[in-house]
Parts: sequence; C-alpha cells; structure tokens
Amino acid sequence: MTEVKLAGESFLTDDFLRQLIDVGEVDILVGVATHNNAKTIGSIVETIQAGILTYFPRERAVIVNADGGSRDGTPDLVVSAAIGDARSPSKLYALRTLHSISAQYASSPARGTALRTILAAAELLRARACAVISPESTQITTDWLPAVLRPIYSEEFDLVLPTYRRHRFEGILLSNLLYPMTRALYGLRIREPYALDFAFAGRLGSRFLAQNAWHDETARAGSETQFTLAAIAGGYRICQSFLGNKEHVERRSADLVPAMRQTAGALFASLEPNFSLWNSRTGSQPIPTAGAEPEFTLEPLRVNRKRLREMFSIGVAELESVFQSILCPSTLAELQRIAQLEESRFRYSAELWVKTVYEFAAAYHKSVISRDHIIQALVPLFRGRVFTFLVENRNGSAKDVEDNVETLCLEFERLKPYLLEIWNGRE
Amino acid sequence: MAFKQDVPWYKDAIIYQAHVRTFSDSNGDGIGDFGGLAQKLDYVEQLGINTIWLMPFFPSPLRDDGYDIADHYSVHSSYGTLEDFRTFLGSAHERQIRVIIEMVLNHTSDQHPWFQLSRSSQENPRRDWYVWSDTDTRYPDAGINFLDTELSNWAWDPVSKSYYWHRFFSHQPDLNYDNPAVREEMWNVMKFWLEVGVDGFRLDAVPFLVEREGTNCENLPETHAILKELRRKLDEQFPGKMLLAEANQWPADLRPYFADGDEFHMAFHFPLMPRMFLGVKLEDRKPITEILQQTPAIPPSCQWCLFLRNHDELTLEMVTDIERDYMNDKYAHDKTMRLNRGIRRRLAPLLDNDRRRIELMNGMLMSLPGTPIIYYGDEIGMGDNINLGDRNGVRTPMQWNGGWNGGFSVTDPEKLYAPLIQDPVYGYPAVNVFSQRRTEHSLLNWTGRLIAVRKTTSVFGSGSIEFLYPANHRILAYVRQLGDETILVVNNLSNAAQAVELDLRRYKGNILIEMFGKNIFPRVGEIPYLLTLGPYHFYWFRLRRI
Repeated sequence: MTEVKLAGESFLTDDFLRQLIDVGEVDILVGVATHNNAKTIGSIVETIQAGILTYFPRERAVIVNADGGSRDGTPDLVVSAAIGDARSPSKLYALRTLHSISAQYASSPARGTALRTILAAAELLRARACAVISPESTQITTDWLPAVLRPIYSEEFDLVLPTYRRHRFEGILLSNLLYPMTRALYGLRIREPYALDFAFAGRLGSRFLAQNAWHDETARAGSETQFTLAAIAGGYRICQSFLGNKEHVERRSADLVPAMRQTAGALFASLEPNFSLWNSRTGSQPIPTAGAEPEFTLEPLRVNRKRLREMFSIGVAELESVFQSILCPSTLAELQRIAQLEESRFRYSAELWVKTVYEFAAAYHKSVISRDHIIQALVPLFRGRVFTFLVENRNGSAKDVEDNVETLCLEFERLKPYLLEIWNGRE
Repeated sequence: MAFKQDVPWYKDAIIYQAHVRTFSDSNGDGIGDFGGLAQKLDYVEQLGINTIWLMPFFPSPLRDDGYDIADHYSVHSSYGTLEDFRTFLGSAHERQIRVIIEMVLNHTSDQHPWFQLSRSSQENPRRDWYVWSDTDTRYPDAGINFLDTELSNWAWDPVSKSYYWHRFFSHQPDLNYDNPAVREEMWNVMKFWLEVGVDGFRLDAVPFLVEREGTNCENLPETHAILKELRRKLDEQFPGKMLLAEANQWPADLRPYFADGDEFHMAFHFPLMPRMFLGVKLEDRKPITEILQQTPAIPPSCQWCLFLRNHDELTLEMVTDIERDYMNDKYAHDKTMRLNRGIRRRLAPLLDNDRRRIELMNGMLMSLPGTPIIYYGDEIGMGDNINLGDRNGVRTPMQWNGGWNGGFSVTDPEKLYAPLIQDPVYGYPAVNVFSQRRTEHSLLNWTGRLIAVRKTTSVFGSGSIEFLYPANHRILAYVRQLGDETILVVNNLSNAAQAVELDLRRYKGNILIEMFGKNIFPRVGEIPYLLTLGPYHFYWFRLRRI
C-alpha cells in the first residue's frame, strides 16, 4: 500500500506543487540544482533551452530548478528561460510552450534534497526522460541533451552517464577510487559513477525516489553515487555518452572531505545492502558507450605536489590511532614506511592503495569507529596516492595515463577476494 | 423582403458554406441544384444560420469544381437556371438568410469565350485580356500554388503559340488586370449579380490579380488599388453589401486588404485555422495565442472570418516548416491525405471523430473574434473520401437520411455526381441529418444550441478580446467585451482534466453565469479563480455584477 504523505510532511512546497500542476505531464525534464550560481546559470539554461528546441522540438519539456536558497537571483535566471505565449526570446522557433520553474527546497544547499526535489517533479510530471545538469557545467553545448536523452528516449536505456575528455589530473578521486572500485565490485566499467551531468528514465527515478535512503545523512550527501548504484543493483540498463571536454574546476583543499563523503562514503555505504550482488561478481564488462571514447588531455597544469606529500605524511603520523582501528598492521606499517621516504623516492603503489581502500571499506562496514571519521581519515591517504599518480603520469602520453588507470582497475579487480576475506574478519 | 439593416450585418453573421452541387438534388439527375437547395432552407434556418456562402455555380467545364468559370452571367445547367437561382435567393431572404456568392476575379476557364478570343490571334481585341508572353521566364519569383500538379505558372498555348500566365491550374488562365477593360467587365459581372439580389461576394484568389517583375506577384499595391475601386463602386451603388477576401497570407499581409475600412469588409484568417488544430494536438495554447498576438488591429467596420474546414485542403501555407511537418505527421500520416501544401480531410476525421474535440473546436470557432463559417456537413460530423482525388473527398453529397442515396437524390446511386460516404463510421446510414434530429444530444442539435447561445449576444461578433495567460498552458482563456457586456471563455485543449487558476481581479465582484446551462458560479474575488475542466471541455461565462 502506498504511503500517503500529509501536506505537512511533504518536502514539496505548495508553490512548487502549483507550478507542477501548471506544467502537466511532460516527455522531458531537465533538472538543475543551484545555489548562488548566477555567474554561470544564465548561459547554461540558455544552452539547455536551445538543446530542447533544436533536438526535441515536439516534446513536452520543462526545466526544473531546485534551489538551495540563492541570494544572487539564480532562480530568476532559470525561470527566464521559459517560452510561453509571447514571442520566444530564443532565436530558435518554439513549437510549443517550454516551462522553466524553480523551487527553493531549503535555505541552505543540500545536494541530496535537490536531487530528491527533481526526482519528485519527474515522478509527478510522469516525465519519460530526465536529465540533470550541473550549474557549473559551463562547457555544456546543445548537443549534450540529445547525447544523454536519446539513449533513454529512443533506445530504452534507464541511466545514461557521461564520459568526458578530461585533463589527466582532473578527477583523480574518480580515476583512482570511484571508477576502479565500482568496476571491480559491481562488474561494470562505468567511467563516471559519480556524475553531476546524467540522465535517467522516469521509471528509475521513481524507484530511487521511493527508497527510504533520504532520511540517511550519508545517502543524502552522496545521492548521485547512490543513484548509479541503485541502477546497477536494480539491473537497470546503463550506458555512457561522450559529452566532450570537462572543464577543470579549481577546488580548495577543504573541498576534498565533502567530496570524499559524497563519493567514497556513498560507495562504502552501498556495499552492505548490495553484498549479495557484488560479492559474486568477478571481472568487469564494458557498457555501451555512445560517441567518442573518454580520453585525457595533457596541457600543463600547476599542482602543488609537495603539499600533497606533506599532508600525507602528517596525516599518517597524526591519525595513527585511527588507522590502527581501520587498517591491517601490515598495511599501516607500509604506509608509515613510505611516509618517511624522501619525495623523490615516495611511491604509493597501486597494490598498497587498493589494499588501503578495501580495508577502509571493510572498516566502514563494521563501523569500527564513526563512519564519518573513517571517511575523513581516508583523505590524507588519498593525497598521498594523488602525489604518486601525478608523478607517474607527468610525462606520459594520453594513452600512458589511460593504461595506468587500467592497471589500477585490474589491481582492484585482482584484490577483490582480499576485500571479501576481510569483509567480516581480519587478515 | 428587406433585411433589418444592422450595419455591419456581417459581424453577427453565422455563415454556412454550401455547394449547390453537393447539397440536394431536386430533379433526380444525381447532381445537387437550386431547387434542392431551396427545399433545404428550412434546415439551414433551423440550424441558426443567417448567411449562406455559395461556391461557384456558373457555367464551367468543372475541371476545378466551378472555379474555372466559362460564363459569368449564367447558372450551370446542372444546377438549374437563373430563374431557379432567383427563386432560391428570394426564399432565403424570406427567412432572413443572406446569400453571398463566389466571384473568381483572378482567372477564368480556358473555355471561357474571352480566352478563346484572346488566344485566337494577337490582334484580337480580347488579346490583352489575359497575360501573354513569348517566354516562360517572366515573374520568376512568383510561387506555384498547386505544387502537386503544376510545374510552372506559365503554360504553352499551341493555338496562340505563346505562353499564358496562370497562378492556379493551367486550364485557368489569369486575367490581365492592367487592362481597364478587364476591370470594367469584372465590375459589370459583380454588378449583374448584385442587381439579381445577392448580398455580397467571396472574392477568390485576390492577392494574385496583378503581376510585376521583381516581386512575388502577390499583394501588390496595384492589386489593392483595383480592389479599392471595386469597393468604392459597391458602396456607391449597392450599400450594405459585403466583400469577403480570400487571401491566404500572413496576418501582416492580410491587413492591407482592409485598408482604412475602404477595401474588404471581411477576410479569412487563414493563419489562425491550422494553429487551432495544432494547439489541440499539442495540447498547448501557444500556437493560437502567438498568431493572434501577431494579428494586427483592423478598422472597426471590418471583420475576420474564421473557419475550421472548407472545400479546399486544410492549408498549411501559413505555418512554419516545423509546424507543417508536425501537422502532416499528426493529421495526415497517410501521405495520400496530403495535397499541395495541405491536408484534404474533413473536420470529423481530422479529429478522430472525437465528439469532445469537435465540440471544443466549434466552441473556439464561435467565440474567438470573427465571423464563423460552418462547412456543410461538418455540423453532423460527415467523413471524407480521399480516394476521390483532388479535393473532391470533402465535397461528397450531403447526408440527409439513412435511406436511398442518403436522401440526397432519387437517382440510381451510380449516377450521383460523386459517391456517398459509405463506411460504417461516417457513412450515411450512421451519420445523417434525420437520425441526428431525432437524438437530443446529437452533434447537429448541439451545434444548433451552440449557435443559438452565440446569437444571444453581439459580444462574440463585435467585441474586443483580451487573453488571460494562466500558467497552465493547456488552457486557452480570454475575455470578450462589448460595452457593458463581458464574457469569459475558458478552453481546455488537453485530453486530460485540468485545473486552472485565473487572475480575474479586474472583474472582482462579478458573478459568473455559465451560458449554456445558465447556472451561477462563485463570485470573483481577490484570490485567483479556480476552475476545473474535463478533457477538451470549455466554458462560456457571462460576467454579471448584481
């Protein structure tokens, strides 16, 4: 029996609900979660609008903005993309009305709630195909929409994840942890399991919306990753689509902790409920990919390697008691040994890194300490791994980088039995 | 019989487009005639019609169903005599029904004596009555109207050994309006019929009267000058008569046909019509509101003519390429339904015989600003037969009853000018006047009630229009006003029930009275006025402050 939500319990405001009523059933929904993105959102929404008008002119479409309390006029910029009775502001001809609506879901941003708002809109509007676009994706082109939506619309896929042409040093968390570990455990070579630009079928969105994970803080934080994992666990059809260049975004050092929560934290959290799914899978399979293969670009990029190495060593020293709860003695000993090495000799090998990650995953599963502390403790170790990755790939070709990532993936796959061994016991 | 001279009468007109050939056969030859048409005037009157527009009934080889006129001063023998026409006209006038007739100004049949003389030699006095050329390269910018059959606007005449200009079929040579004699003679033709007693003319194909190099030969200033001259003479000699322009043009190009109220009284709003179909299929009011926003204001004495279907294909000339493709895909997926740049289907088949959609479309026809035209047979939901070729599939015999030849004629069925519609859904045993008269809630009776309600007020014919733009784009809502009278019209263009909140604060304090059932609805207050509508439902509310 479907749980009936009283109006007072709903996270959807009356105003948003009213807007949804006015929109009615749609074929395509494009969701954008924002918080003070006035600098970028205007051109992004304009491109989304052009994509809809160019590639889906006959479809009933809506742009849904879930805003976390912007104070810079971001929602107004999104709403201005609507095309109604008056002459279209776009140079492109609009066959039908294009709605662009906005809802403030909270007074402060929460990614999971933003996604939940978009999913709710998709369900209420019975959207057949939905895309989520990041408000920071300034490299978006009109071709993005057909790239992510057509596999759903025309080929009945349920989830379309992006692939990009990335800088070799962009997305190292992805290439050194998320991608290889998801691939090794779940058996699918999903290049970007944590994606901020993706598309999904309405049926998948409804399934994910119905999950009770919204009350879990971790799940709300890593909802994009959870979304991908839910699709894998549910046996949904997944594919990838090439979207072109991924713009390099400067991140502050402090951003790594929340990023780790949203990615590794979500991934670790998924292992327990999906144990029966991943424990029996061996190896990995490619998934259908449209467009070009992902590749790395090699232009110069300044990175403070020395700082990374220092933070690793400091972390190993200061968090020794924490690591004793999480890691096997041999792994910890090895980490302490390399922490003493000079920079020129420092190397955080693939095998050691994989063992580290798996031991953290097992510790997370057993909640040896607070799970959030476990995630935070991984950060300095990851910095050490980043240092090695930067060094190993600084002079390599794009193929060399790709090969190194592939080697790491195979290492994750090779050591999967190790994870299974320590999952409920210790080495 | 003198009409009550409410000028302008055409603003309150409800026009019924009929073809004498298709309506009723009184002499058993299988072809409709004026005797039969006269016999059916009671039917037309009971429906609520006050104006009949007759398609061409002149002598003609009938290669374009009479639009190829071979004699402007007579009646085709199949339809009767001039006296029969006068009798019919008198009977119509007795019932306070006006009659406007077709007048094809632009061209004649190639069998017309004028053309026969014109082609006979270069020295013939009628030579210059048509547009001749030694080459077929003049006026290259003029588009071809009948794309499915014509490759050029020039045709070679083997008798004259030269080319003649034709904007329609090659057997319809264009008259040369640069020739004063042509202009004078065409006025004489009109004058003849006005003296017989007709109440006005639908002037066919008026944009094409004059040709000039370097132009597309449409809507030229010289054409407007000629039309104004005709109007001047009409007002001078026959006040109270009406000219209706057939000009398939964008709204901005249609506006000049009204001039300062001294050219045409009325013009068809061609661009609106396909957008009504588009709006219902898209379930989105945007195409309708957009085109009406682009429609310029016209002089107070002038009027738009609105229609859903007519004897021609549902023209998709005045839409964008995207709209045309969409309309073809949705309404004419079978390509044999397409003709020239349009769709040759009747109203009911176009709307999948969906009674609700048919009612909605008629509701909009009767409530949007303009004079409505009902195409014969659409009031009972007649079907079509695209296998009859050209546009003949929408010109089949009127279906009066389920008996012999649908009550159209007593002749053998094989002798009918065209076969009746016979399929189980639209065929005459299923769809006919007799059975619908017996059914209280038939489409026929509903249409009669719709017309009756419309005629309770002059607001629809003469009032202003202001669109409301509720956030629910599936709702087309507008307010019509004339003097103290205000009517709110709300249309649900969607297949699903809808809720809509209307900003009616300007009308605060008014009680809404639904015009068909006359029930009262809540008073308008400060908060948005909530209405719910069933699929394809519409409301007409009279706003009353008591």
